[in-house]
Amino acid sequence: MGLRPRPATGVATAHYGELFQGQIEDETGQQRRCLVSLPCDSLFSRVVFRPQFTADLTIKPERKHKAERAVRLTLERFNATDIGGDVTIFSNIEEGKGCGSSTADCVAVVRAVTIALGERLSEEDVARIVVKAETSSDNTMFRRAVLFAFREGEVVEDFARPLPYLAALGIDLLPSAVVDTLNYAPAAYYWREIQHFQALVGALRKAIRTGDRELLGRVASASATINERFLPKPLFHEVKRLASHVGALGVAAAHSGTVVSILLDPRDSRLNHKFDLLQAKLRELGIHRTFRFQTHDHSLQMATV
Amino acid sequence: MNRRTRNNILDSYRPDLVALEDNLIAAVFPLMKIYPAEFCIRQAMQEGAIQADSLLIETSSGTMALGLAIVAKWSGHRLTIVTDSACDSALRRRLEDLGTKVEIVPAPAANGGYQRARLDRLRQIRDENKNCWWVNQYDNPANSGSYGVLAGQLLDMLGRIDCLIGSVGSGGSVCGTGNYLRALFPELHVVGVDTFGSVLFGQPDRPRQLRGLGNSLLPRNLEHAMFDEAHWVSAAEAFTATRLLHRKTTLFRGATSGAVWMVAQRWAAEHPKARVVCLFPDDGARYVETIYNDDYLSNNQLLLPHLPQAPRKVLHPLDASDSWSSINWNRRSYQEVMGGEATVGATV
Repeated sequence: MGLRPRPATGVATAHYGELFQGQIEDETGQQRRCLVSLPCDSLFSRVVFRPQFTADLTIKPERKHKAERAVRLTLERFNATDIGGDVTIFSNIEEGKGCGSSTADCVAVVRAVTIALGERLSEEDVARIVVKAETSSDNTMFRRAVLFAFREGEVVEDFARPLPYLAALGIDLLPSAVVDTLNYAPAAYYWREIQHFQALVGALRKAIRTGDRELLGRVASASATINERFLPKPLFHEVKRLASHVGALGVAAAHSGTVVSILLDPRDSRLNHKFDLLQAKLRELGIHRTFRFQTHDHSLQMATV
Repeated sequence: MNRRTRNNILDSYRPDLVALEDNLIAAVFPLMKIYPAEFCIRQAMQEGAIQADSLLIETSSGTMALGLAIVAKWSGHRLTIVTDSACDSALRRRLEDLGTKVEIVPAPAANGGYQRARLDRLRQIRDENKNCWWVNQYDNPANSGSYGVLAGQLLDMLGRIDCLIGSVGSGGSVCGTGNYLRALFPELHVVGVDTFGSVLFGQPDRPRQLRGLGNSLLPRNLEHAMFDEAHWVSAAEAFTATRLLHRKTTLFRGATSGAVWMVAQRWAAEHPKARVVCLFPDDGARYVETIYNDDYLSNNQLLLPHLPQAPRKVLHPLDASDSWSSINWNRRSYQEVMGGEATVGATV
């Protein structure tokens, strides 16, 4: 540790479902559960850390136990356990929806503490600490696209470039429900589904390598459809039909949550018209809670990095 | 052999993807059947269907036998292959060198030909051996299920695919690959290549000169509703096409590759905007004395002066005969096309 710790802010963004989630065999023959999150930069967690030389650590809101663990783990990582202080979390991410609220909290915490200590951490290091703090996390700490083993916090495959930028309509299909990510039993995939994931990962590689949004959307829809066997969502198939009706790229679902996103091409000249049409049709289905977002909000990133 | 070495060797059997035309890509396999062979055995081990000392048995006169022989060598299992005179001596030597026992049935059964005779012998072996497991490529879902790896490789290299063309014997490769691809591209056009006298797409069973595709029974791995088109190709056409493929492209392939190439070339030319993938299952090594032997071909009237330009289109499978024919199958079931009931599956 270098200088005297100073107050610092960390920001981390959420996601709105997964472009892919499944299980593949890695090089050593081990089965790895892994995912690729659909980033949503307009939802984020902002953490302010005011460090002090004290054993006391206070977290606001108090219920954010995973974030508290992330603070302690980060301090341990830099042998700074003599430091405590106040951590305040501001978040606009709803909990229990599969939007990665706790991962965003933890990542923002790790970033704030790291900056406060005048240290640096790689994205891989952040991932390891966050998974340790919350058992299972998504891959929003990475700027580039990775296939992420969400229980081990390891990169199974590095796509080595960012996801193509997407526009999306976020939908909560079960507004009154929450899914507890920790207590949610992991999907027991059939062998045929595991074979299917190999095909989908091949398509993912191509889609990310070439910025093929259409292929990416198809992968997301196929992955979301497989998940219907494990965590069915009301009106999922209607939403999928609607998406194809308006010529959307596909549908991404939260594999342990209640939200889905209809994916659109941000370069589409009829983008706003498609958003309007989708929202009107969704209202006919009784779905009123929707919001438009972009996967990468450049203005937000500029302001917070 | 350790797992890493084994995986490296398995990887060496991955197909090369060769663009034969702007819109026609051939998946050129050293030995396609190694994938279903490996996966069938792995699944059986995982499900507890076989133990280390189990005897594996299968009926095959071709590349499935070789695929299984290689995988059984890796897994340490005993393997017996029941075959007939279609199993040439080169293949037989290779199988035996890998430790596989090869049993050749001497004569066709009165009813059901060599296929029946082979299955009858298979049953005898199963009755004589307690710890014995029949791979059954025809009905074992792990056969078609194993093609996720191939679908992934195709998607990784090519992205969108509009048409898949392959030869059909067990139905495993085309239906397996087709299923995984269709989950992404529901509009994918699937074309199956069969031969006259094969029951797969509704022809009456009779002895066939063209091996490696076609069947005398309807395998469960064949999902008829997968197919938009089915083609029937004669032995002479397939052999001539195989030679033409060799002379034109230098690709040294087996008869199924030739048959598939003939169909795929035409389809790709007729659909210049579609991206077509065709499957070439094995190489030409086994056919040096036959397909690649002019004397053999001319003595058996199997060398054509030229190939037909296009298939003869038929409305019903029973109308197809003699030379390259095709039907718009339109994703129908076997019953929808043929009417009545069909016996499905390989029974012993």
